[in-house]
Formats: sequence, C-alpha cells, structure tokens
Amino acid sequence: LADGVAVLPAPQNLSVHSANMKHLLTWSPVVVPGEIIYYSVEYQGEYEILYLSHLWIPSHWCSSTKGPQCDITDDITATVQYNLRVRATLGSQTSAWSTLEHPFNRNSTILTPPKIKVTKDGFHLVIELEDLGPQFEFYVVYWRNEPGAKEHVQVVKSGGIPVHLETMEPGARYCMKAQTFVKAIERHSAFSQAECIEVQGDAL
Amino acid sequence: GQEFRFGHCRVQGVELQKLRKAFWTVKDTVQAQDHNTSVRLLRKEILQNVSDAESCYFIRSLLKFYLKTVFKNYYNKTTELQILRSFSTLTNNFIVIISKLQPSEENEMFSIIESAHRQFLHFQGAFKQLDTDAALTKAIGEMDILLTWMEKYYQ
Repeated sequence: LADGVAVLPAPQNLSVHSANMKHLLTWSPVVVPGEIIYYSVEYQGEYEILYLSHLWIPSHWCSSTKGPQCDITDDITATVQYNLRVRATLGSQTSAWSTLEHPFNRNSTILTPPKIKVTKDGFHLVIELEDLGPQFEFYVVYWRNEPGAKEHVQVVKSGGIPVHLETMEPGARYCMKAQTFVKAIERHSAFSQAECIEVQGDAL
Repeated sequence: GQEFRFGHCRVQGVELQKLRKAFWTVKDTVQAQDHNTSVRLLRKEILQNVSDAESCYFIRSLLKFYLKTVFKNYYNKTTELQILRSFSTLTNNFIVIISKLQPSEENEMFSIIESAHRQFLHFQGAFKQLDTDAALTKAIGEMDILLTWMEKYYQ
C-alpha cells in the first residue's frame, strides 16, 4: 500500500530466451485473484541508450498483452545491445517498470543444428533442410561412404525446399550433414548428425 | 552472404534490404514534410566525386553526422510509433556499420581522407544553409538517396 492506495507490484524475474533468432521475453506473472492483468513491453536499442536515453519504444506485439511473455523478435532489428522493460496494468492501476537486468544482444541466440531430410529421386541425392526463416543459410557437407572419400560442400540459401546435391552411382552409399549460418550475427550452429542413404543396383 | 565493401573497409552482419524496408515504411510521411523540393543536400556531384578508396571515410563521416545530429534532433519532432520503430532499426544498424568501419590511417592516405572529408563538408555546408527543422526533414527524407548510394558497395 502507498498512502492507503493499493499499488500494483511490478513484474519480476525478467529474462530472454533466444533460439535460432527467435527472442522471447518472459517474466513472473503479477497475480491479483479474480483479476486479469495486462502487461506493456518497451525497448531501447544502443542508439536510444546512447543518444536518447529518455526514449523507450513500445514493443511491436506487446503494448498490451495478457500472457507473462512477449515475442520481441520484430523489435530486435540490429545486432546491438537492447534494454527491455515491462509493467503491469489493472484497470487504472499501473505498476512501476521492471527492466531486464542485463541488456540483450541477439548475437547470444542459441543456434541449434538444423533438421535434415535425405531422400533420393531415382539416382538423384536430395536434401531438404529445416525452414528457419530468411536470416539462415546452410552449409551442407556430403560424401560417398567409403574409405578416402572426398567431402563436398554446398551452400544452400534457404530451408524448406528440396535441393539436388549429386547424381549417385548404383550400389553406393552417401552420407551428409549440415549446419546453419546466420549472416546478421556472423555465427554458425554445430553440425547435425550425419544421415546416409544407399542406392540399389550393382556398384560400377 | 552479402557485405558492404567501402574501399578496403568490410561490414558484415547488416542487411541492406532491412534498412530499405525500414525507411520505406515511413518514406512518404517523412518526405511529405519537406517543402524545399528544389534543394538537395546529397547532391549527385558530391556522391559521384567520392572514389572507391574514399568511400570508407566518407560514409563514416556521413553516418556519424546522421546519428549525432540528424536523427537525434529529428526524434524529438515525432511521436509516431511507426517512425520511432523504423528509425530505431536504421540508427542501430548504422551504429553496427560505424563500429565496423576501421579505415587505415597511413600517411599516404592523407589526400584520400582529405578529399572524402571535403565531400562531406559540401553536404554539411548545404545542411547548415537551411533552417534547422527544414534541414533535418530534408536530410531524413534523403535517406533513400543515401541507401541507394550505399547499395553500390553492397556485394
């Protein structure tokens, strides 16, 4: 209470979970039995922090949201530090702002190895990579599964589309693995597990 | 992936299409406020006179001016949300670009640095000849000229 007036507590435990360039801000919900609490999220990029520290910009998707989380991916549009803050609202009552303890930079996002699907179309070796969005490129490494075989590398510009890698020889076994590369943060993921496929018929 | 190559300066991690898209969403609003249509700050001859070797020095001076003077003062003129968000994208990516522009400062570069600075001073001079608000509005409105010029160096 402040001067006998109920004060809405500020949200606590702010944190950002970021994976594959999708950034989710979460916090502990403010609970008032029987009431629905709304939250507002705002952000500052490094420019605003340096030159316009008074300026906070309302989040694209969460200027008034119910859930204790907010997808801030569309707010984080540069690879710089971002401050983030949240406050709660109940009717005419508004809490104080809670600010993320440490600024968030998208270059800290977790990059997971991409899911790959290996198929053959006749003698054609085909790979389809997980569609992770326009910021992702893929490095695909493939080889013929035999001693001394040479590794081939191919850059695939986007996921979700079958890509022809090579024309296979009958009776041969081919393997491949892939990693993602994100231009905006100049980082790549670990490689996926290798997957192999075999072509029927007598080896030449 | 693509990168900026201003002379021997390399800038990765900034996608020009995102900058264009950010400006495109506010272009009409911003340019409608510019009533000095006969005046141009980023004149063709200024941009044409910047050689490849000078481009790193020129863009660094220009972006610093845009961040420290143009955007900083123009922000106070607007509370429109879409403009704030678009400018946030532009300014924060300009900060990334400037942080990666590390031109070498060897002696024989002096004439190149001086020439690039002269072209920047032409721009700044034209800016100062206008009333402040008019100059801010025009400089912001000319972002598409700047982005088009930067595209030449995006490979």
